[in-house]
Amino acid sequence: MNLRLDPIQVATGCEDQEGRLVYKDGLLAAVLVCLSDLHGTDAGKWHLEAMFEPIRSASAPIFADLDEAQTWIADQLPGLS
Amino acid sequence: MTRINPSVTGAASPFIRKLEAFNALSDEDRQMLARISAEPEAVAPHTDLACEGERPRGVYLIMEGMACRHKRLHDGARQIMAYLLPGDLCDLDVALLTRMDHNITTLSACKVVRLPPETVTDVLERHPAVARGLRMSTLVDEATLREWLLNIGRRTPVQRLSHLFCELFERLTVVACVDQEGFALPLTHAELADTTGLSSVHVTRSLQELRQRGLIDLTDGALRILDAERLRTLAGFDVNYLHLGASAAA
Repeated sequence: MNLRLDPIQVATGCEDQEGRLVYKDGLLAAVLVCLSDLHGTDAGKWHLEAMFEPIRSASAPIFADLDEAQTWIADQLPGLS
Repeated sequence: MTRINPSVTGAASPFIRKLEAFNALSDEDRQMLARISAEPEAVAPHTDLACEGERPRGVYLIMEGMACRHKRLHDGARQIMAYLLPGDLCDLDVALLTRMDHNITTLSACKVVRLPPETVTDVLERHPAVARGLRMSTLVDEATLREWLLNIGRRTPVQRLSHLFCELFERLTVVACVDQEGFALPLTHAELADTTGLSSVHVTRSLQELRQRGLIDLTDGALRILDAERLRTLAGFDVNYLHLGASAAA
């Protein structure tokens, strides 16, 4: 899977700050954010905050971990799945 | 729930209260409306009243609880297009259609009356003041849909939820389902997300922001608006599209 993740702090306006920039072939493809305790049982899971390429589904699930998030993103991006 | 006043037990049913918000009714009109809505059926939450593709089975009248109109994509994603509240009649002229183009489903436990098409025809022909109120109600449904399109198309997440709460407050006030403790909002974050075109994550964040700004309190399925003026300003809410008459609460 040709994705690279870089840690980043994201200004979401709440406690959800820990994020990852997701690069595909050196280009920023998506931003993931780790959900804080604000989200109850979803705390620690990952939310697709933004995605910059055309994707196949308008609604992304909440991902249990970064591996699951990368698998979903790769499936959405042309040339990666 | 003690916060909601199920007005079916009071002086006037929500159906009568809603129609009287549009125009005056005679005693005969009120008696007829009370008679045709006298025996509502209890319906469990998340029950389909009408399904896309099926033949309409009549006109549904919500007497208690909350239902919605919605459509789904093939991947399961859902958009809620309208809330049906106490006093709301679903699709006055639905009998003209051979197949439903959307779903109507209860969100909470409801009490519902199903009016046969012939009853609706009889009401429209013999009770002109009621007919006028029902047609006004249909126009307001369309105006509300336009407002919801504007909401999900052009407002920010916090504004979308604020606008929805302002609207629910006005509509539920007309049918006497609001008291000093607020009103019942028996909806999950996922349902609010499906209503406002947001993810449930954004709904959670936006609700927290509204709480932190001191605008709302949402606890145990009851919503209390703490500062109505600021909430309306934030949402850009103008009540005009609901076309409420003089009998609507200010």
